[in-house]
Amino acid sequence: MTATGTITLESVTKHFPGGVVAVDDLSLEVQPGEFMVLVGPSGCGKTTALRMVAGLEPVTDGQIRINDRVVTKLPPRDRDIAMVFQNYALYAHMTVRNNMAFGLKMARMPKDEIRRRVDEAAVMLGLTELLNRKPRQLSGGQRQRVAMGRAIVREPSAFLMDEPLSNLDAKLRVEMRGEIIRVQRRIAAPTLYVTHDQTEAMTMGDRVAILRDGLLQQLGTPDQVYDHPVNAFVAGFIGSPSMNLLPAGLEADGDGCAITVGGARLAAPKLLEHRPSLRGYLGKPVTLGIRPEDFGTDGDGGEIEVTVSRLESLGSELVAYLAPAGMAADTLLTARLERRASLAEGGATRVNVDVDRLYFFDPESGAALT
Amino acid sequence: MTSPGWRMAKLVAVLAIIVWSLGPILIGVSTSLSTQREVNAIPTRWVPHHPTLQAYHDLLGGTSNQRAGGTVTEAGTFTRSIYNSAILSAVSTSFILIFATMAAYAVGRLRFKLGGAVLALLVGTMIVPIFVVVVSLFKVLAEPPVGPSLIDTKGGLVLVFIATLTPLATWLLYTQVREMPTEPEEAALIDGCSRWKAFVRIVVPQMSSGIAAVAAIMMLSVWGEFLIPLLLTQTMNAKPVTVQITEYVGKYTTNYPILAAAGVLALIPPALLALALNKRITGMLAGSS
Amino acid sequence: MPKPWNRRGGNRAARETQILGWLFVIPSLIAVAALVLYPMAHGWWQSMNSGGFLFGEKPGYVGLRNYRDVINDPVSREAMTHTLWYVLLAVSLELVLGILVAVTLHRVFRGRGFVLAVLILPWALPSVVSGVLWKRVFDPDNGLLNSLLMQLHIISQPHVWLAAGRGPIVYITLVHVWGVLPLVSLIFLAGLQSIPDEVYSASAVDGAGPWRQFRHITLPLLRPSMAIALTVGTLLAISIFDEIYVLNGTALNTRSILIQVYNTTFAQADFAHGTALAFLLAAITAVLGALYAIALRRSTV
Repeated sequence: MTATGTITLESVTKHFPGGVVAVDDLSLEVQPGEFMVLVGPSGCGKTTALRMVAGLEPVTDGQIRINDRVVTKLPPRDRDIAMVFQNYALYAHMTVRNNMAFGLKMARMPKDEIRRRVDEAAVMLGLTELLNRKPRQLSGGQRQRVAMGRAIVREPSAFLMDEPLSNLDAKLRVEMRGEIIRVQRRIAAPTLYVTHDQTEAMTMGDRVAILRDGLLQQLGTPDQVYDHPVNAFVAGFIGSPSMNLLPAGLEADGDGCAITVGGARLAAPKLLEHRPSLRGYLGKPVTLGIRPEDFGTDGDGGEIEVTVSRLESLGSELVAYLAPAGMAADTLLTARLERRASLAEGGATRVNVDVDRLYFFDPESGAALT
Repeated sequence: MTSPGWRMAKLVAVLAIIVWSLGPILIGVSTSLSTQREVNAIPTRWVPHHPTLQAYHDLLGGTSNQRAGGTVTEAGTFTRSIYNSAILSAVSTSFILIFATMAAYAVGRLRFKLGGAVLALLVGTMIVPIFVVVVSLFKVLAEPPVGPSLIDTKGGLVLVFIATLTPLATWLLYTQVREMPTEPEEAALIDGCSRWKAFVRIVVPQMSSGIAAVAAIMMLSVWGEFLIPLLLTQTMNAKPVTVQITEYVGKYTTNYPILAAAGVLALIPPALLALALNKRITGMLAGSS
Repeated sequence: MPKPWNRRGGNRAARETQILGWLFVIPSLIAVAALVLYPMAHGWWQSMNSGGFLFGEKPGYVGLRNYRDVINDPVSREAMTHTLWYVLLAVSLELVLGILVAVTLHRVFRGRGFVLAVLILPWALPSVVSGVLWKRVFDPDNGLLNSLLMQLHIISQPHVWLAAGRGPIVYITLVHVWGVLPLVSLIFLAGLQSIPDEVYSASAVDGAGPWRQFRHITLPLLRPSMAIALTVGTLLAISIFDEIYVLNGTALNTRSILIQVYNTTFAQADFAHGTALAFLLAAITAVLGALYAIALRRSTV
């Protein structure tokens, strides 16, 4: 009945004056201790959704519950939440210690309890020597940690984070990713984390919610959204380099079928068994999805003739941009290949794909065909 | 633009600016240290040959008609006018800052209903020159709906200054508030503050440099007010230095040293303020245009 | 970009915001309403009424008669002409000198801070004091200007600067400009600093020398600043009072509209005509302000 430590959004909608629908009927529930990432391109509504949970943005329709307590119309201070902002939002005129203690002072906590919590959080985040400094004397990473410290000491029912790593440089970002996860596991409060970076989503989230234009596309574990994207958008958004999406056709071929893509014809005898809904697409166009890492050069599987347009060597592997024969000019396939694959820019060669690892999507709706 | 010709031109320009800005002030100082005779001497003495503080003595300590050549001063009058100006500036500025900070925040942040209308109203009254009101102001202050006449009182003047300068202060602070990041205030809301607490503890400190600059501009404005006090004061109860100083301008002859001494003393406070807060003031004036 | 808090009904937090908003604005509104708007309305009413028995007339509503009187009154007309001169002269000087000063102080150089500090002094002083400081310069007997010119043998006798002719208006304008120039310079300085350096670099590559750059880049991009300076300068010049009062009192040859208002209302105790004249000028100012606002909107590139 009463769940503890959850964040629940039920049919939450946000209309802005002027007709913009920023969030459309969003429903999700963050489980106790779970780290859920809201991810999507800019403008998809993820920040708006987060701000509604925080109480910084009024809700047009729907309900928000924290620990099963309805908070939809409550001001932020009554929701028992803590938030980390993208540009830290530290109180510039206070020391680090006072920044962290501020919320506790507002809650009229006894002084020694405040001191204890602040000191503990400082140790957890490595801020002990900085407690008496002012924000302007700190680096970006340090400020971010203070922002987190300020959130942690409150021991809230729910954690909200709005792209906290976007303002950090790449290396620091990777470091802080680990910090945030480590801290979150210690605190074990349900966390809603917003980012536009799908790498952050995949590496940090227990579950990932992908938004686009205010609508929830898919909610699942990183593995789930990676292996079983529910539509072409999710398929193309998750994974780096992105999945290749090409127009293709399905032809009947005896009992099975064959996939025509460009000039290539890939035999797929078992395909219709594995993916029954494709039967309805025989003779019709489909959108074909191939992950870059599913290409091979060992000749094992269906083959596609390509011309090598460009090669990027990343040291441990090779990213090849390949122009498939028979397709519209400037269509390029991105392939991740082994370093020793012998390719030359401008040369023609063949790459192969495992037909079972292909993805199919309806060309109009983008829905995955299984 | 670094050829010697340009550099020379720039140097000349800078010197011209300095001479132009400081010249009259230095002339005033020099005059205040002269005697009437030296002032009238031919050829003109730009700097007195025998500088003396006699003019200041006369101004502050009182003179008779003859000695001061047409200007009469009474001991303590001028001092009293400076005191009045100081009180008027300090008190008015305090109130103006409180009203304007709140109004700027309300219109710039809270964006409440009719906020735009309020701002337009305030800006509108800025454009209406004060003289339109000044005459009727006299009537209103002479016969207020409650209480005694406010003519010739410091309180009355303070009220008028508040009414006439708050719109400008609000406008200046509003441009500040618009540019400030909202996140610290939002963090405070999440940290448990009500809107009011967040305003007092977080937003106002955030605005502090803007407030300081506006405070300086307000103090200078009130100190420099002339027309309104001219019409609304009669006795030394509330007469500020700007009005007092015109009483040393003779109809036919003028005792220049005394007049200059008055001018010098009257300009010291605003000059000090302007020099001290120079960066803030120029920043705000330039920034809000 | 900072997001505002939008208000929606039925929400405790939103109600709190609304109440607080009104509370914050009310003190300012009351002050302005009581001491600006109400007197304005009262004055407007007064300008439409006759002066009463003091002037040998029946008291009562007379509509726009006072306005007609004022427009037809030769002294008021002269005051209006003078004011026009004040505005034209002051604003022209301010614009030209303001740009020059701003250009000079644009780039950082050693001692710039000092010059900026000195620059605002004339503005920081009360304009009455400015008048006082400059008074000795124009004194008819032994003013500094006279002595300087006599020493340079440009004139042989002291010139009575403020008494007659067009001269006084020019000199008073000079004193006025002395006090306003810092503000105008700062306006232009801000405008200059908003022009990115790359624009100049690009034009230099394209072969433009300093003069060309000034004419074709700086000046056009300064149009918004010019509009602001024009507005501010006009408003300040049109209500010129303090300097005239100190330098020449209510003498007829230098009266501005405000001096005329003062004289009518307080020296002659003719509140009715005084307020009428005041409102007339307010109307002119409002119209000018509106024109400038429109021009500014048009000129924003």
